[in-house]
Amino acid sequence: MTGQTKSPSLKLLDTAEKVSQGAEAKIYRVQLHPTPVCSSSAAAESGEVAEKVLLKYRFRKQYRHPSLDASLTKSRVAGEARALIRCLRSGVNVPGIRMVDAPEGILGIEWIDGKSVRFLLGGGAEGEEEIVEDATDEPEEGDLPPEEDQLQEYGISQDALMGMIGTEIAKMHQADIIHGDLTTSNMMLRHPSSRKGLQLVLIDFGLAYTSTLVEDKAVDLYVLERAFSSTHPQSEPLFAGVLKAYETRMGKDWAAISRRLDDVRLRGRKRSMVG
Amino acid sequence: MPGRVRKRSPLKAPERPYIALGLEGSANKLGAGIIKHSPDGSTEVLSNVRHTYITPPGEGFLPRDTAQHHREWALTVIKDAFAKAGVSLHDIDCICYTKGPGMGAPLTSVALVARILSLLYNKPLVGVNHCVGHIEMGRQVTGAQNPVVLYVSGGNTQVIAYSQQCYRIFGETLDIAVGNCLDRFARVINLSNDPSPGYNIEQEAKKGKRLLSLPYTTKGMDISLSGILTSTEAYTLDKRFRPHGPSAEDSEDADIITPQDLCFSLQETVFAMLVEITERAMAHIGSKEVLMVGGVGCNERLQEMMGVMARERGGNVFATDERFCIDNGIMIAQAGLLSFRMGFETPLTKSTCTQRFRTDQVHVAWRA
Ligand SMILES: Nc1ncnc2c1ncn2[C@@H]1O[C@H](COP(=O)(O)OP(=O)(O)O)[C@@H](O)[C@H]1O
Ligand SMILES: [Mg+2]
Repeated sequence: MTGQTKSPSLKLLDTAEKVSQGAEAKIYRVQLHPTPVCSSSAAAESGEVAEKVLLKYRFRKQYRHPSLDASLTKSRVAGEARALIRCLRSGVNVPGIRMVDAPEGILGIEWIDGKSVRFLLGGGAEGEEEIVEDATDEPEEGDLPPEEDQLQEYGISQDALMGMIGTEIAKMHQADIIHGDLTTSNMMLRHPSSRKGLQLVLIDFGLAYTSTLVEDKAVDLYVLERAFSSTHPQSEPLFAGVLKAYETRMGKDWAAISRRLDDVRLRGRKRSMVG
Repeated sequence: MPGRVRKRSPLKAPERPYIALGLEGSANKLGAGIIKHSPDGSTEVLSNVRHTYITPPGEGFLPRDTAQHHREWALTVIKDAFAKAGVSLHDIDCICYTKGPGMGAPLTSVALVARILSLLYNKPLVGVNHCVGHIEMGRQVTGAQNPVVLYVSGGNTQVIAYSQQCYRIFGETLDIAVGNCLDRFARVINLSNDPSPGYNIEQEAKKGKRLLSLPYTTKGMDISLSGILTSTEAYTLDKRFRPHGPSAEDSEDADIITPQDLCFSLQETVFAMLVEITERAMAHIGSKEVLMVGGVGCNERLQEMMGVMARERGGNVFATDERFCIDNGIMIAQAGLLSFRMGFETPLTKSTCTQRFRTDQVHVAWRA
């Protein structure tokens, strides 16, 4: 691709710093409004300063059919933006929107200073590799360092964190938004020293949609429950704390969702598994 | 630079060669395989024999008839396996059989054979989880160390990763399995079941030209496939559908839909969903390897798509050919022998079968 044909949002990407590659997108960090309009007191008055923004770039997936890819990318970006707006309106903690370019697959959102819940629960950092040695090898000197309590810095307990998760998901479901990909990687804890203070923030709404159905809310919870047991096997009991807070926040709506969650769990185990 | 965690394998090198017989019959394939683990750490497939119960086009296999097929062929297939391996039943250390999951009647018919041989030759039994069999054989054949496993077959669709002596299920189908979806569509358009409906869909798809719009449903690492099957079937009732290709009146660029287009669209859409959830799991656990097992795993288009995705992430895809991808006895021997070497045996009184036996219920004692 040549410079002339590049769209403004792709050009912006060029100036951004790539921070990671997630499940379906590359994540970049960029300063928006990098050159304050000098001499203009208006800019100064409106407090316009360079802001850290995250660009989520759903690049072309070569493995899938181009027309399928184009339509999926466009609908995912637009859908993610729509879900974020809906959450923001309903007071669910999510990153604010800074820019949307659906055809190019680019979404710009507020940068959250903090860590993912997955990391804070000791689920490891992404990209951690395991090396297996033969049983006959010499024993390694010294064992792995004990796992640090990642949460200490944030001044809250694991149980409190579970409560925050349950409450935030309940707020989202009360607004009839289904996340579609609830995992501990897709929630972040805003650092207490940041401007908005300690907050649980839900992210990654690429598979989100709106629905009033009890079934969809139950499946959303089931997906998270499974993510807990697969990513944090030791922390599995913690999930009860998530449900407790969710129940409190949902009030009278909880009974139906709870019943359906039991159904969904049963379906999962009963699913026919022939050859 | 990614962090590295060192772990020690609990499986000790064998002090002498170990040989195991594996018997599989959880669906319409009957398999017997003989494997050998040597003190130098090598693994050798001594034989791997299979006989498939093939039904006429438009028909699936029923449990009773399939069990009947397995009973009829058991002795032939087992004898053949021993003849090809050049060993006798006296030489083996254990008899491994599929405990589940699968269809009840076929499973039980093979377990019965295993029990009889165990009593006749005084050999211990080892009950094996079919899915774990696929994973262990796949790891053995390809050398993949700690891959994300996409297990795709007639009855299963799971994204699996190993952690703490367990193959954990990260994602799976919320309704029907991918092989089931393809097979059922093959029946709708009357494709042959020989060698398998999925294979014939793949051949037809190569001739497909247009991508028709089908529902694309991923939920996190799970997928749903029943909607897409219904929609693909619905196209066969569309006015534009030509079951035997373009008719004489159709112009070159006529707006028509052929069975080949449907096979193509079905594959492109379903496989894109599979690759997407696999990629999601890779990102989630930080693995760069993918291993595909199960019958659908030998589909070359799926392998190609998975390969492109893995390379985009700087990783690799590992796949096996039909000898190991399609249900077989050797994979049961491999997984069974690994657990036998860790001291596991299935007492005769517990040598039952279970139709529902989840991958994550198995204690993977042989891995660190
Ligand atoms: N607003 C944000 N601020 C800071 N980091 C973020 C933000 N959104 C996402 N991230 C980081 O980037 C990772 C991937 O982003 P995500 O939106 O989940 O994309 P993907 O679909 O690739 O998983 C997250 O796990 C998180 O660590
Ligand atoms: Mg994510």
